[in-house]
Amino acid sequence: MTTNVTKQDVGPESGLSMRNVIHKAGISVALLGLIIFFSVFTEHFLTPNNITNILTQITINLVLAVGVTFVILIGGIDLSVGSVMAFAAVVAGKAMTLPDIGTFEAIAIAAFAAVIAGTICGFMNGVVSAYWGLPSFIITLGMLNIARGAALHVSNAQTIYSFPAAFNAFGSAMVFGVPLVFVVALCLVFLAWFVLTKTVFGRLLYGIGNNEEAVRLAGHPVFWYKVAAFTICGLTAGVAAIVYMARLNIASPIAGIGFELNAIAAVIIGGTSLSGGRGSVIGTLLGAFIIGVLANGLILLGLNDFMRQMITGVVIIIAVILDYYRAKYAAK
Amino acid sequence: MKFLKMAAIAATSLTLLGSAAHAADDKPVVGLVMKSLANEFFQNMLEGAKAHEAKRGDYELRAVGMQNETDIETQINAVENFITQGVDAIVVAPADSRAMVPPLKRAKEAGIVVVNFDVALDTKAKEENDVELAFVGPDNREGAKMAGDALAKKIGKGGKVVIVEGNPGADNAQQRKLGFDDAVEAGELELLDSRTAHWETEEANTVFSNMLTAHPDIEGVMAANDSMAIGVVKALESAGRTDIQVVGFDNVPAVGPMIKDGRLLATVDQFGQEMAANAIDMALEVVRGGPELEGWVKTPIKLVTAE
Repeated sequence: MTTNVTKQDVGPESGLSMRNVIHKAGISVALLGLIIFFSVFTEHFLTPNNITNILTQITINLVLAVGVTFVILIGGIDLSVGSVMAFAAVVAGKAMTLPDIGTFEAIAIAAFAAVIAGTICGFMNGVVSAYWGLPSFIITLGMLNIARGAALHVSNAQTIYSFPAAFNAFGSAMVFGVPLVFVVALCLVFLAWFVLTKTVFGRLLYGIGNNEEAVRLAGHPVFWYKVAAFTICGLTAGVAAIVYMARLNIASPIAGIGFELNAIAAVIIGGTSLSGGRGSVIGTLLGAFIIGVLANGLILLGLNDFMRQMITGVVIIIAVILDYYRAKYAAK
Repeated sequence: MKFLKMAAIAATSLTLLGSAAHAADDKPVVGLVMKSLANEFFQNMLEGAKAHEAKRGDYELRAVGMQNETDIETQINAVENFITQGVDAIVVAPADSRAMVPPLKRAKEAGIVVVNFDVALDTKAKEENDVELAFVGPDNREGAKMAGDALAKKIGKGGKVVIVEGNPGADNAQQRKLGFDDAVEAGELELLDSRTAHWETEEANTVFSNMLTAHPDIEGVMAANDSMAIGVVKALESAGRTDIQVVGFDNVPAVGPMIKDGRLLATVDQFGQEMAANAIDMALEVVRGGPELEGWVKTPIKLVTAE
C-alpha cells in the first residue's frame, strides 16, 4: 500500500476524459432509445402533458437517488431512505397541521422539520457505520425499521391530511411547463454535481470509495467525510418527503416502501459503481429518467402489470451489463 | 388442572409482547389476530376492539398484529401461541385465506371458539382440511358494486371507466375487482384499463396519470381503496380535469373533505372500527354456550356520498 497519494488517484474522473464521455453517452443512448421506441409505438408519449407527468413522477426518486449517490460513491449503501422519507413526512405533517398557526409559519416549520428529521437519521447511519466500521448495508437496514416504526408511532398509523392550499399549490406549480418540484430536484442535482466534482470534499469522497486507507494516510478525517455522505443522503430523504407531501397533499406513514430500491437502481443504471469510487450524479439523473420513462411508457403501451414488472427488471439488468462492457472498452 | 393452565399461560405469554399473565379471574380470554397494524384500517379496528373491551369489561383482550400485509408467519405463530395459552376464543383476520386454515383447525380441535372476520377463509381449503369455520364480515364484492353503481348512475350508459386495483392475490382486492366488474356490466360501461397500484397513494397517482395520458377520454375511475382514490384525485387536480368522477372504498377520514366538495363521488364504509368488536361479541356468545356460528354472517356496508 502506498502512502503517496496524488490528486489524480483520489479525484473523480475528469469531465472531459474519453472514458467519461463514452460512459455518459452510453446511458444517454439507452435513454434516447427508449424515448424513440415509445414515441413510435405509443400515441401520447411525446405530448407536453405526458412529459410533464414523467418529470413529476421521477422527482421523488431523483431526489432520493442524488443522496444515495453520495453514499454509494464512498462504497456504502443506504437502504433506509424510503422509511426515512416517510418518517420525515409524518413529522412535517404533524408540524403543518399544528393548531393556531399561520399558513406561512406552518409550511416553514414543516419543511424545516422534514429536513432536520431526515438529516438526523442520515447522521446516525453515518456515525454508527463509520465509527464501528460496520457494513452500512446492515446499519441502514436497522434504520429502515427504526424510521418506519417511528413514522407509524408518531402518526399512530394514521394518514395526516388537510395541508394549507399554498403548500398544495407548490406541489402542482409549473415553471414554463416544467413542474416546480422537478426544478427543485434539478437544482439539487446541480448542487451535488458541483460538490462532487469541484470541491476537495467531493474529490475525497471518490477517494474514499477508491482507496479509503490511502485517504486516511494522507491525513484526511475519513470518519467525518463518511458521516457527511450519509448525512447528505438523509437530508435528501427529508427533501423528498416535502416533495411527496406537496404532490399528494397527505403524509402517510406507509409511504415510500421499496423506494430505496428504486433509488439504488437509478444510481446503478446511471453508471455509479456499487463498490464505490466511480460514477456521477449526472448518471443518476439519467438513471432516474430511464426508470421513469419505462414505467410511463409501458403503461401507455397497454402492457399488463405483471409483464410491466418483468420488463422493468430485465431493463435494469441489461443496463448494468451494458455498463460493464462500456467500462471495459473505455478502459482500453 | 387450573394451576397447570395458569402456569402454561404464564410461561407462554412471555412470548407475546404486552400480554400480562393475569387470567386469575374467570373472565374469558379472547385472542385477536389482526393484519398489518401499519395499515390505518386495522389500527382503527384495534382501537375499536380495545374500546369495546373497556366498555364490556367482562372479557380480556389479547391482540397481535403483524409487520406487513404478507407476514403470514407471524399470524400462524400468534394462533399457535394462543392455543398454548389456552385462550377461550380466537378472532382472526387472516392474511392468507389458505395458509391460515390448518392452524385454526388445530385451535378448534383444542376446544377454542374460532371466528374468522374481515377476509373469508378459502372454502376449498376448509373442505380439504375438513373444518367448518363461520365468517363474519362485509361483502366486499357487493360494496364495490355499490360504489361502481353510483359511478355508473352519474356518468350514464357507455361511460368509459378504468379500475385501480389493490394487491394482486389479496382476497379483498379480488372481491372488489369483481364487484367493479359487476357494476361495469350492469351499468353497460366501457372498461378501458385496469391496473394495480398496490393500495398505495403515490403509486396510484403515478399509474393513474399514465392511464389518463393513454386514455384522455376516461369518464370515471373506480379505486379499490381510498388511499389510492386520493392519489387519483390529486392526479386529476394536476391535470386540471374536473370532468372525471372517482369512487373509492373504506371511508378513511382523509377523504371526508373530498366527498364533501365532490372531488370524490362516493366511497364505501364497511364499519371497520366495529368489525373486530362485532366478531368478538359473536365469539363470546358461543363461549357462553350460545349456538355455533355457521356460514357467512354478513356485516353492514354503506355507500357514502355528499348527500
